[in-house]
Amino acid sequence: MSEAVTLSGPARGRLAPFRRQTRRVASRAGVKASGFEGQLLPLLLLAPQLLILLLFFFIPAVRVLVQAFTLQDPFGQDIIFVGLENIQALLRSAEYHASAWASVVFTLASTVLTLVVGLVLAFATDRVVRLRGGYRTVLLVPYAIAPAIAGILWAFLFNPVVGPAAFLLHALGIPWNPTRVGNHAMVLVVLAASWKHVCYNYIFLLAALAAVPRTVMEAAAVDGASPLRRFFAIQLPMITPTIFFLVVMNVVHGLFETFAIIDATTRGGPAAATSILVYKVYVDGFVNLDLGGSAAQSLLLMVFAMILTFIQFRAIDRRVSYDLGQ
Amino acid sequence: MSSTVMTRRAALAAGAGLLAAPFLPARAQGQRREVRFWHAMTGVVGERVEELCRRFNESQAQVTVTAVYRGTYDELINATVAAYRTRTQPQLVQIYERGFMTMLLSNAIVPVHELMAANGHRVDWSDFIKPIAGFYTWRNQLQAMPFNSSTPILFYNKAMFQRAGLEKPAATWQELEEQLRRMKAAGVPAGTVMAGDYHWSWFENYSAINDMPYATRNNGFDGLDAEFVYNRTGVVGQVARMKRWLDDGLMVMAGQGFSPESVFTSGRAATYIASTAAHAGVMAARDLPWDATYLPHEEGKDPRNSTIGGAVLWALRGHSDADNGATAQFLAYLAKPETQVWWHKATGYVPATNTAYQMAKSEGWYRERPTQELAVLQLSRGTPTANSLGFRFGNFTQTMMAQREEAERAFAGQKAPQAAMDDAVSRGNEILRRFERLNQGRY
Repeated sequence: MSEAVTLSGPARGRLAPFRRQTRRVASRAGVKASGFEGQLLPLLLLAPQLLILLLFFFIPAVRVLVQAFTLQDPFGQDIIFVGLENIQALLRSAEYHASAWASVVFTLASTVLTLVVGLVLAFATDRVVRLRGGYRTVLLVPYAIAPAIAGILWAFLFNPVVGPAAFLLHALGIPWNPTRVGNHAMVLVVLAASWKHVCYNYIFLLAALAAVPRTVMEAAAVDGASPLRRFFAIQLPMITPTIFFLVVMNVVHGLFETFAIIDATTRGGPAAATSILVYKVYVDGFVNLDLGGSAAQSLLLMVFAMILTFIQFRAIDRRVSYDLGQ
Repeated sequence: MSSTVMTRRAALAAGAGLLAAPFLPARAQGQRREVRFWHAMTGVVGERVEELCRRFNESQAQVTVTAVYRGTYDELINATVAAYRTRTQPQLVQIYERGFMTMLLSNAIVPVHELMAANGHRVDWSDFIKPIAGFYTWRNQLQAMPFNSSTPILFYNKAMFQRAGLEKPAATWQELEEQLRRMKAAGVPAGTVMAGDYHWSWFENYSAINDMPYATRNNGFDGLDAEFVYNRTGVVGQVARMKRWLDDGLMVMAGQGFSPESVFTSGRAATYIASTAAHAGVMAARDLPWDATYLPHEEGKDPRNSTIGGAVLWALRGHSDADNGATAQFLAYLAKPETQVWWHKATGYVPATNTAYQMAKSEGWYRERPTQELAVLQLSRGTPTANSLGFRFGNFTQTMMAQREEAERAFAGQKAPQAAMDDAVSRGNEILRRFERLNQGRY
């Protein structure tokens, strides 16, 4: 993931790779010509990265693949090959369906929320002249907070017994209780995860907005287009590649990288209402010591992620313009 | 479906031998042998574990026990599994009571009875108190060394009871509910707070105390083919009771970000059903007029003993005889009545042997701290029956998690208590069958 984003300057470079991608295709030969002579050096240069991939991705992935088809005791004494039983059991189980559904709700809700809020904030700071740096810094702070701390913070703020935010909700007559009502807990984890991830969206959108040519904007302004009109007619269409990229990143983030925040905020409860797929993998594997079942879930999750990414690129890619010259 | 069983024992033994060789320390004369001991105790009790090891290390010159904190009980059993699979396991691990069957049938342990006998330590096994020995004994031998055992009791706030003109909690659930309603009417914020391990006190201990079966085959003691039956007992009524109490504001849930114990100690609830291990926290609370009593029982029932929770120390396989000897030496120290009494006083856990209990009693320890004796008294209350001896289920953590999930569905009103417990039982039985299949012929 490219999380190392510099904030200095108008950050035009951010958009550049997207813009150039399509143009590069034509000149592939040129790229090849400037390549290495022989194979030893490139292989050597690739080796560290490949080694890391091998150790931390390929070996575990293969082991998961094997484990998913076995029933085994945690100490590895006996391994019974059970074929597709683990996967069939999962597909039958109501809890797994509930977990998948919770993942969909959680991911969609947090993706939409982070994008919309990120866009509003980026649009607003794009128009701010004074203290722009100050606003940006304040808006970026949540990203620097560890997920576990953020989760506990939100859990405490909205704790129905002692949380100040919960008091406010109760005072407004809302029977807020995330420790008993599943939907409330879902709202809480969506808020917590989005609050942390909105910053990520914000920097990218801010950079994208800065990359929209001033001349176009000024021309529109001269023609009498209001800031909102300019935003919807010019800026938004021009930053669609970034939005598409962020949709992909947010979905991936929601599905796979929110374990810590869920663990700290709700522990998947109540009644597994916030136990999204990644969290269920952890609970079944590391709390319940059901290695086969947990591995089968990982496998399905992997397949699920691949299908999702494929659909996203196929469906959305066609409608996204990478060419600013259009 | 074809199923092949690969026994790894041979490979394991060979591997352990090969790997152990380079790590054998070159030991000079008089050098101490190290016993690595992984535990899951934090806070005050964690400090006591350190102190226990220090005391042992200073008491003799051959063995050094190094206590290492390895996270919560769940994390610790995981760390143990991972270590065992990579042949880097410590000599001694502390595993919670729910992990008993996993450890027992893992082929990764040395039964403590055998370990002590092989190293010439004489331990009076019959001295261990029944509820503890019964829980961890298999084929007439204690399999692991009892370490920290507790049982749930009822803590209460005396001032809140007085506010409603009551003296102390009633003995039955029915009367207690009336009391909580009266207190609520008198302005007490909540009658009780739900403990984090409510399944243990409200379902499991409830079944033992009220002599209700939890599963067939004597709660699993007689075989791996046991099936849960608590959907046909008072447990369903317990779920309904909890829901009713939650609905009527008699019970609160602390929720994430706040602890049930703090709800009680900060005066937000009149009672708190929790492990005797909660003593430390309750005693540390300032200006809390607290006391404790037995867990309630059903009207018209003759209350039996409650059951234990906590953890035991397992000796792991794959170490040299000399190392095992060192481990045995530490366990022998632990089994001594003096150590037991010290541990009991320092932590509030139940004394594991009758001798230790009598020693503490004769020293007058309970005269000033009557609530610390409650656990022992409650554990030996009434005549034990097959339903009150404890529980022996494989994958017990997993069945418990499923049960809690279903109970929480009932609390939230998504399912009726009966339907929730029916589902919990059928999910639990499926989990038990998986364990049975994997461990056929071992129990």
